[in-house]
Amino acid sequence: MIVVVGSRHDSVARSMVRALPRAALCAAEDLTCPGWVWSLASPEHSRWVVDRTVIDDREVTGVFVRRSCVYPEELVSTHPDDREFLAAESTAFLVFVLSRTAARVVNPVIDGLLGDDAIRPEQWIPKAAELGLTLAPLRFKRGGTLCPLARTTTAVVVDVDVFGDAPPQLRAAATELAAALGVVYAAFVFDGERRLVAVSASRPPSAPALAALGSILSTRNGT
Amino acid sequence: MIVVWGALDDPPVSDVLDALRTRGANIVHLDRTRVETLDFDVTLGKTPSGWIALDEHRIPLDTISAIYLRPEAHRVGCATPATACLLTIASSLDGVVVNRPAAGRSNLTKPFQLAAIAEAGFAVPPTLVTTDPLAARQFLERHRRVVYKSISGIRSIVATLDVDDADRLSGVRTGPVQLQRWIAGIDLRVHVVGERWFATAIKSTAADYRYGGSDIAIAATEIDGEFGERLVRLTASAGLLVAGIDLRLTPNDEWFCFEVNPSPGFTFYEDATGQPIAAAIADLLMKC
Repeated sequence: MIVVVGSRHDSVARSMVRALPRAALCAAEDLTCPGWVWSLASPEHSRWVVDRTVIDDREVTGVFVRRSCVYPEELVSTHPDDREFLAAESTAFLVFVLSRTAARVVNPVIDGLLGDDAIRPEQWIPKAAELGLTLAPLRFKRGGTLCPLARTTTAVVVDVDVFGDAPPQLRAAATELAAALGVVYAAFVFDGERRLVAVSASRPPSAPALAALGSILSTRNGT
Repeated sequence: MIVVWGALDDPPVSDVLDALRTRGANIVHLDRTRVETLDFDVTLGKTPSGWIALDEHRIPLDTISAIYLRPEAHRVGCATPATACLLTIASSLDGVVVNRPAAGRSNLTKPFQLAAIAEAGFAVPPTLVTTDPLAARQFLERHRRVVYKSISGIRSIVATLDVDDADRLSGVRTGPVQLQRWIAGIDLRVHVVGERWFATAIKSTAADYRYGGSDIAIAATEIDGEFGERLVRLTASAGLLVAGIDLRLTPNDEWFCFEVNPSPGFTFYEDATGQPIAAAIADLLMKC
């Protein structure tokens, strides 16, 4: 079984569940349902709650993560006074689960963080510089405005496969950077001067990228 | 230049500021109000470049040698541009940073951090995180006495449950709860500061000594040098320069490690023991 960890309000997560083989959504509400069992000592006996159903961790082959945290507003069945606390607890619990499951997690927990939080700029910029990639300057300026780029190309890395319209040299560089960052799925955006502008795992996967994800998530540890 | 980021009414921040002033350090203090008026123009590269400015006084980033940060909490996803900028600087500045924001993240997920502590070779208590009342009751039955505490970085009062309290575990069905086997013994808080450590023993009959009221005795103590060095390595392996490590020494002389706090409120221990922790942090910040 493939588990997509995301929100019921996330249309990309829902469409991934429809497209991936034997997939189901693990939403915020599931994190507050009875049935979860995760022991520090014996993760092999662990249990998920996915789409309100208790699932043995051994049945989960792969997990695709579509969120960085659980928001209080998602916990509509929880008393409003308790939502903030429970959202923090659910996020922390999710990080623990994703770091302990024997299933392949895309993308894995890095520094206790999920999703794009795990590949924030201060993480990928130094690594990209070390690998010799040319970087577009990322500037923080009070009152600064976003300038949309006129022309970009993208390399979408799924493990060892690369999709998108970036030229071969940039696709190879993206693959190398993904490996250095420890991520399995990410989109690497380059500007017209072939400079790396952004890295994100939240971009919706294209059909071929989704097929590649389905392939690696359908079997345990991609084997 | 040393940047200290945190509220003046937060004792660790004020103590570190005092220690730095005593040493004649060149300091910039930022609290929430000043951060909101902070001007900045920072470009991220292999190392960050640019400047931050307070009251129209520009501070080039290459003049900042160290940062001590205990910023006031903000809600996840709600950082302002200025705090985001400062966190980015703290993450990538080529200098002494106590502590890098990412290094402290594992403490936001206690069982995740506990797994890392176990992997580093320290004994940790048997731990179950669950929303299943039956699994929770079985865990309690097996260990006879357990503590339950929060999973996240939000502080909660640690409470104990005995087998007579099994019925109370039906409440776990509404959200994940962390249960740990009760470990009897003496609490130790060890503050690691760079290569140094300060060990404090705490005796209390309360399950959570922080809320033990007058039923608490705190004293500076010594730990074995080799064990102290292991704690220094544990701190470094978490990417931290300063940590408050919570341990318990059992009557059988077995050490259990519970937590590595990346932003310890060390003044509680310093005030009780006279250990020069703020001074050690100031020395570390001025090392560069």
